Order: sequence, then structure tokens, then C-alpha cells
Amino acid sequence: MPPITDTTFKAQEGGMKKTPDPFTRRSFFTSVGAGLHGAALLHLFGRDSFANEPRVATDLRARPTHFSAKAKSVIQLFMNGGPSQMDLFDPKTELDRHHGEAYFNKIAGEVENVADAGALMRSPFKFAKHGECGMSVSNALPHLTKHVDDIALIRSLFTTNITHEPALYIIQSGHMPSGYPTLGSWVVYGLGCECQNLPAYVVLDDPLGLPINGVENWHAGFLPPTFQGTRFRSTGSPVLNLRPETADPPEIARLQRDLLNRLDRLHQRQRPSQPNLDARIASYELAARMQMSATDALDLSQETRQTQELYGIGREPTDSYGRRCLIARRLVERGVRFVQLFINAQIWDNHTGLATDMKAACDRTDLPIAGLFFDLKQRGLLDETLLIWGGEFGRLPIAQLPKDKDERKAGRDHNKNAACCWLAGGGVKGGTTYGSTDDLGFAAVEKRVSVPDWHATILHLLGMHHEDLFVNEHGLKEKLTGVQPARVVREILA
Amino acid sequence: MKRWPLVLLLSAVIGRGEVRLIDKATAQEKPAVTVPVSIFEKDIRPVLQAKCGRCHGEDVRKGELALHTPAGIRKGSESGPILVPGQSEKSRLYEMVRDGEMPPDKKNPLTKAEVEIIRRWIDGGARFENETATKPEITQHDIVPILLLRCTACHGRQKREGELDLRTRAAMLRGGKSGPAFVSGKPDESLILKRLQREEMPPRQRLVEAMVKPMEATEIEKLTRWIALGAPEVADEPDVAGTPADPLVSAEDREFWSFQRPQKVTVPDVAHAARVRNPVDAFVLQKLAEKGLSLSPEADRLTLLRRAAFDLTGLPPEPAEAAAFLADADPRAYEKLIDRLLASPRYGERWGRHWLDVAGYADCEGRREQHLPRPSVWRYRDYVIRSFNADKPYDRFLQEQLAGDELADYEHAPEITQEMEDNLVATAFLRMAPDPTWANLTGFVPDRLEVMADSMDVLGSGVMGLTFKCARCHSHKFDPIPQRDYYRLVAIFKGAYDEHDWLKPQLIGYGGALSASFGERYSPHVTTAERQRIDEHNAAIQRDIDTRKGGPQTPATAKQINELNAKRLPESRLFTLWDRGEPSPTYIYRRGDYQNSGTLVAPGPPAVLADRETTFEIVPPWPDTKSTGRRLAFARWLTQPNSSAGGLTARVMVNRIWKHHFGQGLVKSVGNFGKTGDRPSHPELLDWLAQEFVRQRWSLKEMHRLMMTSSVYRQGGQRGREGEGERGRNTNNAADDPSPSPPLPPDADNRLLSRMPLRRMEAELLRDSLLLVAGQLDETRFGPGDAVTVRPDGLVLSGKRRSVYVQQLRKHPASLLESFDLPAMNPNCLQRAESLVAPQALHLMNDATVRELARQFADRVQREAGDDSARQVQRAYWIALTRPPSDEELTNCLQTLTSLTEQWTKQVSAAEASRKALATLCHTIMNSASFLYVD
Repeated sequence: MPPITDTTFKAQEGGMKKTPDPFTRRSFFTSVGAGLHGAALLHLFGRDSFANEPRVATDLRARPTHFSAKAKSVIQLFMNGGPSQMDLFDPKTELDRHHGEAYFNKIAGEVENVADAGALMRSPFKFAKHGECGMSVSNALPHLTKHVDDIALIRSLFTTNITHEPALYIIQSGHMPSGYPTLGSWVVYGLGCECQNLPAYVVLDDPLGLPINGVENWHAGFLPPTFQGTRFRSTGSPVLNLRPETADPPEIARLQRDLLNRLDRLHQRQRPSQPNLDARIASYELAARMQMSATDALDLSQETRQTQELYGIGREPTDSYGRRCLIARRLVERGVRFVQLFINAQIWDNHTGLATDMKAACDRTDLPIAGLFFDLKQRGLLDETLLIWGGEFGRLPIAQLPKDKDERKAGRDHNKNAACCWLAGGGVKGGTTYGSTDDLGFAAVEKRVSVPDWHATILHLLGMHHEDLFVNEHGLKEKLTGVQPARVVREILA
Repeated sequence: MKRWPLVLLLSAVIGRGEVRLIDKATAQEKPAVTVPVSIFEKDIRPVLQAKCGRCHGEDVRKGELALHTPAGIRKGSESGPILVPGQSEKSRLYEMVRDGEMPPDKKNPLTKAEVEIIRRWIDGGARFENETATKPEITQHDIVPILLLRCTACHGRQKREGELDLRTRAAMLRGGKSGPAFVSGKPDESLILKRLQREEMPPRQRLVEAMVKPMEATEIEKLTRWIALGAPEVADEPDVAGTPADPLVSAEDREFWSFQRPQKVTVPDVAHAARVRNPVDAFVLQKLAEKGLSLSPEADRLTLLRRAAFDLTGLPPEPAEAAAFLADADPRAYEKLIDRLLASPRYGERWGRHWLDVAGYADCEGRREQHLPRPSVWRYRDYVIRSFNADKPYDRFLQEQLAGDELADYEHAPEITQEMEDNLVATAFLRMAPDPTWANLTGFVPDRLEVMADSMDVLGSGVMGLTFKCARCHSHKFDPIPQRDYYRLVAIFKGAYDEHDWLKPQLIGYGGALSASFGERYSPHVTTAERQRIDEHNAAIQRDIDTRKGGPQTPATAKQINELNAKRLPESRLFTLWDRGEPSPTYIYRRGDYQNSGTLVAPGPPAVLADRETTFEIVPPWPDTKSTGRRLAFARWLTQPNSSAGGLTARVMVNRIWKHHFGQGLVKSVGNFGKTGDRPSHPELLDWLAQEFVRQRWSLKEMHRLMMTSSVYRQGGQRGREGEGERGRNTNNAADDPSPSPPLPPDADNRLLSRMPLRRMEAELLRDSLLLVAGQLDETRFGPGDAVTVRPDGLVLSGKRRSVYVQQLRKHPASLLESFDLPAMNPNCLQRAESLVAPQALHLMNDATVRELARQFADRVQREAGDDSARQVQRAYWIALTRPPSDEELTNCLQTLTSLTEQWTKQVSAAEASRKALATLCHTIMNSASFLYVD
């Protein structure tokens, strides 16, 4: 890659370098905003000359990919808390054999709650092979097993921190400190959005509460705030302030809109060549359209009873997550680029009660996800939708015991060295099982996949090369995948 | 043709798939025993000298690598060793030349033969024929960093479990209760190794409490080897700074504009002399004239009033103020206005907020789910606001924030004065980075280093205009900042920021014996006056309680005593930073990796800014103190007039002031004056301003006066046509002209300042203005942050105080502020974003608080203007927009007002209908571009 900065030019007396100076151009766009003028000027500068420069976008219009790709949108099924790999997707017969043996001292530096650390613990769940591909999945996920032939499973993911907050920053943004753009922000920064009446990046959080790190799970870091996730609530008004709490009669609202529009146009006419003012008028028009389309997208009564049942809507424990899965389908159908689903608290953080609590987490999500698979497939949407599933880390092969040391209530502590995740849909080679962990499932050993690798692969599936998606920030070329080289896991691509 | 044999060979290998064959093939690739091994003096030295010597020789040592001596080659670079004798494939030196990565300019690469010679030399053992080895392969400098990392939390300065101190070789030999830590030359008999090998130390169950990780196998190996060698110790002087002929920074490097002292410049004579009010105009007009341009016509008085009021106070002027200003016939009316605004206490609130962005102010820590509150951090916010209002000289302001604890002896003072307290409060500047180290699992050394790196970043980008953080892992790629200089800077702060002797934001979680090795970063040194006030208050309560206890005991008395107890004031503490003395040694972390220590460095300023005349002398600030005086030396160095460093400091600050007045800095990248930053649009002006700033004793208010009374500042926002006033607000010329969008006009990006830019209100300006216009702004100043309320749906509500006093929670920014780009402080913000998105419209149109403010605005209009619609519209415009409506605006507003009243009359009483209609009108004005944008 050629250097992004021309290091040869000298500080001239009063010299303003005209070309080629990416910084000037970039700051120009940050000042232009989201208006039509922005689009026209973007065109004026000519896209092609940007080949090795950051995508200098501040708006959400759809932009071309780096290369052609099948997947157009992403549904991220985020499993906050850290699902246990050896109880879901990574069977370990050696763990059965060594059940009860001491192991703590060998991994002491990797254990969060040292006081509760117990011996090696076999999985309380039973594994079987499923689908034509024969993928091993435990009996905790009976519904997902029907779709394994569409799934590429990665058993060798690893991360670099064992604490939720930093590990979440890493998996969401590729960086351990907070303040970096999240995956979804990078995706909409790179690709914009097909649909202008809805936010490009929608977050469906659980009405029961925000995940750990809250809104930082979908913030845009140093990218313009336009690219941060917009929370859609699955009950009540989907977006904050979408409508006034006590609405005026329609005729009043119309009169107000008209007056505002006339006043703003008068203001704008006296200040020609201020694209921001056009853009601002447009943003009020978009806001009005969003009132209609957001409400429409979230109106599940438009779906048949049969479809609703597919997602487990109307019964427990699947109703809540099922609704979010169905909304996700309706959003990608309407062209939303990135949809991120959360569950309240950390239902996968099974420090204790592995057999019961993790099963409960599976029961809340398994059927809705299977329903989403089926529904996307029957509508022909799975080919252009990328489903990604996973949490912020995996769990340890040793037991974590509750304070009363009751072994029946044992769980597992955090583990940064191994985790499972999967991808499915557009461009993914279904039925693949990739990478492996050691005999006990403590660490990924073969075909290890780092978080930047995982991110690079997702960007690739969307038609972007991770090295070419960057911005210049404080003199650094900032990328989702950071400074260390990242690898696209080509073996799982169709 | 050359490729043929290889292809044939490969196909043969693959074809047979025999292990034996592959062996044969590899054997052919390896040099046979008979191949001559390269000789260093004869074969290697000339190549290195010719191809690498320019950057890695005696005089220039890029990346700290010197290839002119065997010792230099053995030592390696800042990233670590470059040779693995016998293994070329693992040697960085070979990798770099083989892959063509070095030399980087590609002009004079090594030939294939030269690369091959180097490979053979390394594979042959990389021998230096004439070298007389002097330095032992492992010294205490390889061992000390490991012990600091793994052991000294319990066997060091703060805590000596088993009476053992492992910080130096001598202390190790002195040993603890069980005897010396090691026996020189005898690993088998060394206690420390036994304990380590048996996994007894560090105690596995207490790792989290002590916040250490077990020693790694390679580290134990190194320690074993060191002991076996007799624990060699070398008298390495730490790498000190300041020699002008620094091999890591060349004379050419120093020539870059921002590292030069501001140049003496003469104010140019220019053509449009009539518009030259002060030198600022002359410099700007000169550049404009070069392009055949000039300034735009002067803006009208009301525009100027509004612009100046927002710039200096962050609030719109009241209609009465506008009337008085319009009526003032004094030719110096405008200058007097600027003086009035500068004297307003609102000034410090407006400009203090700019500085709080630089510092990254927040009322809580971050990076954890639970955002730990910083209970008394508001004192820093108040300190900043007061400092701006008092026009504290910027050099002093910086010295207080970087080294306030070393400015005046508070340790031995009989009385803590307000100045001493301010000094201590000011250092919270260095504590603003989000810090998760109070929690058990995010308080380890790497977490602490992140906090320190953030603080260095705030200092580097905010104060020095340099992207220092890049040099944390390797020498700066573009600027002459060697990695060593980053760690020298770190060493300056080590007395207060020591990753091996850490003060936590708060001691919670483990309260056991071990946590005593951590302290808290709160100081008890509030003013004696405040302490006495609290003591007296509490003593009075105590007397009351004692009286009640003396009387008959009833349930009522018990209740009264409880209530009295609740009224006791807690002990006041300051959130601050101070030098604690005895800092750990500072080693370079190769590639930024805390487990990979390199050279020992001493505190010192960056070499590129060091010059002969500017002293950097470290002396303890007063007798009988632990304080090292390092930061004080640095703060003085940084603010030394007529030095490279002081020049940069002044430039960065005047550029920031300029940016806030003119929309963009003379150097656009306000936090990056390095090579990847922007060049100044007006270099002479910048230098002139920087020198004028120092001449005016670093007074900000003088800088505001200078900039704001210039013609440049007073020009209009639209370039006028010949003979026409710039604005034509009451004409419809522009509206009637349907010409297609014109080509980009000259100076489209306004770098030459041919007009004043239209600026959108920052988040705080918008919120504060909405409150003020509605007559609801609570101007109570200072004190703890005004708490926000988080609604279950996520909306964060704030009260009625100015935004600078609203509690700044990282996770729960007030929604209105967040919508309009209130920055998340990670760790700070030098340039606010200006987004333009639909949710902003939704917020201003639909938010219940905004709608309520609109109703209150309408009530105010009604109170002040009576029932006449035209007067109401006029009044609303004066209040919200500091001007009368144009005829067209008035007509539109009146028509709509009539229609709105008609509509409402269908549903409510006539009085109520006109009230509601007016509220809608006021709400529309609050949503209008005229309100949100400042001309």
C-alpha cells in the first residue's frame, strides 16, 4: 500500500498544499454533512481517485463495495456473557475422562475468580452429529441442528481479555480501549444504506435491560455519529422522540411543518452555497418519513400467525427474542444494512448453574434463531443476509463452584483462549467446522482465528477489504482490524 | 530459464510424496558445510555501512538502531534484537533486507548477493571476529522489570511481605525472613527460584488481590540464567535527554516548521489599508490579495452582537442588551461590548468548556459496566471556569495543571491556602482519562499503562500538538519522536503515575491486607478554611447531640439524633495527582509490550524540542520532600518563552482560540502540528500571534480582544456584490435569482478567510439557549454536577442549569446534548463533530422537554408583548434571534398564527387557542435554522 501521506513536501511559507492532500478533502466532507450537495460534490471529486484513501463519507447513501459480494446486510445475534463452547459446539471426550482432576494451577493466571476455581468438569450436555455435514451440536440447541448445513462453525476463536467490558470492546470494535467504532459502524460507514427512511444500523436491545457497556456496544467512536447504531425498542415507540408524547392534531402539525419549511428556505436563500442548510431541511423531511417507516417496520401484526409461531412469538420463553428476530427480518427486508440483537443482562455468563441456566439461555434463543433461518430461507433472503452468532469470549474447562461449593450448581468461568462463533447466509460455506481447541477445550490450537480475523472475514463477506476501510485519525490510519495483520478465513467462504 | 530446475524439483517432490525426498530438497537449500561463511569485517560491515549507514550509524540512529559496531548490532533496535545467530529466518535484520522493507526509500536496495551474504553470515553463527565481549548477556536491567511486574507488589516499596524487597540486586541479596533471595552463581540453592518453580509465588489464590500474573516460563529461565552467571550488574547510565546532537533526531528533523521557534515577522503593508484595524487584518488581507480577493463587507451590528455573545458567553444577548448596543453612538461601542462580554462570569463557563474538552472532563471513570463516580472532580471544572474568568496567564494555568503539587509547599504549610488547594485541584487535568483500575480485573499493569497512555495522549495532542501516542510502540513513523522520547516523557510523570506503585481511583472490592499496597488518589489538602468550616459545622451538631443525649431518652430523641447525624458534612477530599517520590525505573517497552523491556531511560523532554538555551533541570521543589520535581521542570520547560517548546505551546493555544472564533484553526488539525497534520494557512500570522500571546503575558482575554476587534472577525458571512450590503436581509434579491448552482467560488473552503463561516451551535449552546429563551435557565454557578435522570426508555433528562454544570456521565450523556454531538471523552476531544441527522429533528420537534420550553417561551412572549400578534412575532424574534423578522418572515408567521388559532378554536377556548398557537410558533422558531446557526 502506498504511503497515505506525502512526506516529500516541505513547509512552504504560506504554502497550502492543494493536491494530493487527503486531509483537506476529508475535513471538507466532515463539514459538508449529509446533504444532496454533499453527494454532488462527492461525485465531482471522483470516487476512483479515492482508491487508497479513506472513504470520506458522512452520509448514509449506499456506496459501492470494494469487490462484489453476496451478502447485503448483516444480522448480528450477539450472545453477551460468553457462551460455553464445550457445552454447545465443541465436544471434548478428554474432558469426560479427566472429569474431577485438578487443573487450576496450570492455568491460574487465566482465571478470573480464583477463589471459586474447581476441578476439570465434563459437559452436562450430550452431543450428536447433525445434518449432511455431520456437525456436532449439543442437545442444548435442538432447533438449530436443523440448519447446520447452512452454518460455518468456528471453534478456534480467541480474544485477549477475560473481563466482560474490555472483551466486549474487543469483539465489538476490535480494540480493547473504548472509543473505537464498532463493527456495525464500520459497515455502514463503508457501505451506506439502501434504505433512506430507516436508520442504516439498527440495534434491537432487550426491553428487560441493556447489555454490559450499554450504548458503547454500538457507538461510532471517532466516526461521525451518523454511523452509530440507533436503538429500536421492540415495544412502544421504536425510536426516542419518534412522536411527541402528546401529539398535536394533524392539521396543526402540518401548519407547523409548512411554516418551518418556509422560514428555513428564506434563511437558506440568503445564504447560498451553504450545503448544510439544504441538508438540514432534508433531515426534517427524513424525520417525517421515518415516523411512518419505523412504525411500519415494527408492526408485527402484519405477519401471519404461522410466521409468528415460527419465531416462538406468543409463548414463553421465546416471545421476546422471537419478536426481535422477526423485526430483524423485516428490517433487512427493507434494506437496513446492519441489525444487532441483544439479550438483557448476560444470560450466557454461566458462572454457576451451567446445566440449568445455560439451558435456559438456549431455550430463549434457539427456536427464534431457527425460525429466522427458516423464514429468511423461504423468502430467498438468506443468500443476501449474513447471520453472525457469538459472544465476547468462551469458558474454561474447569468448574466454577458457587460459594456453598455445591457441585450440582457448578458453572464455568471466563476464558479468552477459546470460543465458538458461527456465520451463515450470504457467501458462507455452510456445513463447515473450522479450527480446533486442545483436548480439554482450554485454548484454540489449530487454525486459530483472532477477533481481527473474524472481523476481516465479515467485512470480506460484505465485499470490503479490511485494509482498505480506514480513516485517518490523529495521524494514524485507523482500521477495524487494527495494526496487526488480519486474515480472512477463506476456508469458510462459499 | 532459471526457474526450471526448481519447478522440476518441486514436481518431483510432490510426485513421490516421500519424506526422504523432502529432506533432500531442504538439504539442498541449506548451505553445505563447504560453502564459505561470510566474514563480518570483510563482507558484512561494508554492506551495512553503504546501505544502512545513513539512518543507522553513529550519528543517526533511527529506531535506536546503530549498525556501525558489533555492540550496536547485538543490541538491536527499539523493537528488540535483530539477530538470532544461526537462524536467519528468525532474524529481523535478514527479514528486512530480504523482503525489501529496508532500506525504505527503495532507491538503493541491497543486491541479491548482498542479501545472501548476510544470510550466510547469520546462519554461520553471526560471529564478530575482533569483538572482545564486554557486556554480559544478561544484566540486572533484564531482571528488574520482571521483578517489578511479578513480585514487588508484595515485596517492594509499599509492602514487604516476609521483610523481603526485590527491587534491586542488593536488596535481593539482603533477603527477607527466610534468607537471601538468591545465591549468586547457584540457581539450585536460590530461594526465589524454588518458590517460583513450585508455583508457590506469586500465591495463586491471591493473584487478583495483588493484581499480578504468575511469572512466565521464559522469565523464570532468564532469572535462572542471570543467577547462574553470578547476577551481573552493570553501571548503565540511564539514557538522558537534551544533548543537541541527538543521534535519534537529526538537524534536518528539527527544521520542520512547528519545531522551530516562532519567527520574527513584520506586519505586511497591504492594499486595502482601510480595512486594517489591527495586524491580524494585515496578514489575512495580504493572503487574500495574492488571490485577488478581499474581506467580505462588514456584518451589521446585530449580527456582530449575536456572534460575539455566543463566542464569549455561549448565550444569545437579551433584547434590552441589543437595544442598548444599537443605541450606543460611541465609535468604540463594539470594543466596549467585547469588554463587557469578557467581564461576564458566563465567559469562563463558555471557554472553560472548551478546555474541559481538551482535558476530557467527566464526572465518572469509564471502561467498566459500573462507571465509578468521581465525587469531587467538579472542583477541577470550577477551577477551570474560575481560571478563565480571572484571565489566568496560560503559562501559569499549564504549570498548575501539570505540576501544581510542586508549585507551593503544602506539605509543611501551617495553613492550606486557596492557592495551594487550586494547585492541587488543577493536577486533576492529568487524571481525566477513563480509568477502570479500581476494579479487580481491570487493574493490572497493562490496564494501568492504558490509563497512563491516555493521559500522555491528552497532554501530547491537547497541549503540545503532537501525536505522541504513536511513539508508545515504535518510533513515530512521520515525526521525529523516537520511542525513547515517549518513555522519557512517561518517566517525567513516574513520580505520580507509576504502573508498579499504583494509586487506584478508589479502594473497593478486596479490602484485605494486600490491598494496602495500593493507595487512593484523593488528597485531604482542602483549604484550612474549608476544613475549619466543616469541623465547626460538625462540632455544632455534636454539641446538639450531646445535649439531647443528656436529656430523657425517648423514641423522639433517638429520631432527632439520627436526623442530626445525617446533617454531618463528610470530610472533603480533592481528586488530584501528586508526586509520591521514589518512582520505579522507566524502561522502554519494546513494541509497547510491557513484558518486553528494553533500555533504561531517564526523565527528559522530547529531543526534537530540546535546545541549548532552554534548561530542563530537575530539582526537588522544596527541602524535606519526596517530590522529585520532574513535572515542575517539565512544566517550566514547556512554557519557557523564546524556546522551541514554548513556541509550540503558544502556537497550539492561539490556534485553538482562533479555531473557536473562526470555525477552523490556522492549523486545521488542532491536535497535530506534526508532518501528518495540516500546514498553517497563515504561518506568519500564527507566529505573530504566538509571540503576541507571550508578550501579553499569555493572556487569553487579550487574544480575544485582538481577534474579535479585527476586520476579519467583523466581516459578514456572505460575499457581497459590488456596492451592495452583504446581507440584504430585508430584500428578496437572492430569492428571486433562480440561477443554477454556481461553480465553486474562490476560497470555497474559506481557508483564506474571505468571509465569516456560518456555524451551527454546539450542543451546550443549543440547550442553554433554549432554556434562556424560555426564561428557564438557572444560572447557579459551581458545585457538584447537576444530576441527570435516566428514563427507562433511555432518554436522559437534564435540569435547568447551564450545560457545563450538568453531570457528565460517560454512559448517560443528556440526550439533547448527545444528539447534537456532545463528545464521548475517550480520552478527550479536540475537534467536535458536527453531524446532521434526522434524530436531531425528531428531538427538537417531539421531545417533551423542548415542547415544554416552547410553551414557556410563548408565555414569556405573551407577557412581554401583550396580545397583538404582530408584536408577539416581533418580540419572539428579538428574544430568540436578536433581530426583528423580515417582512416576509413576519407575513408567514402571522398567517400561520392565524391558521393555527383557527384550528385550535375548534377544540379549545379562544384564549387557550391563541396561547397554543403562539406556543407552536415559538416551537417552530426554536426549530428554525436561524436559531440553530450563528452567522
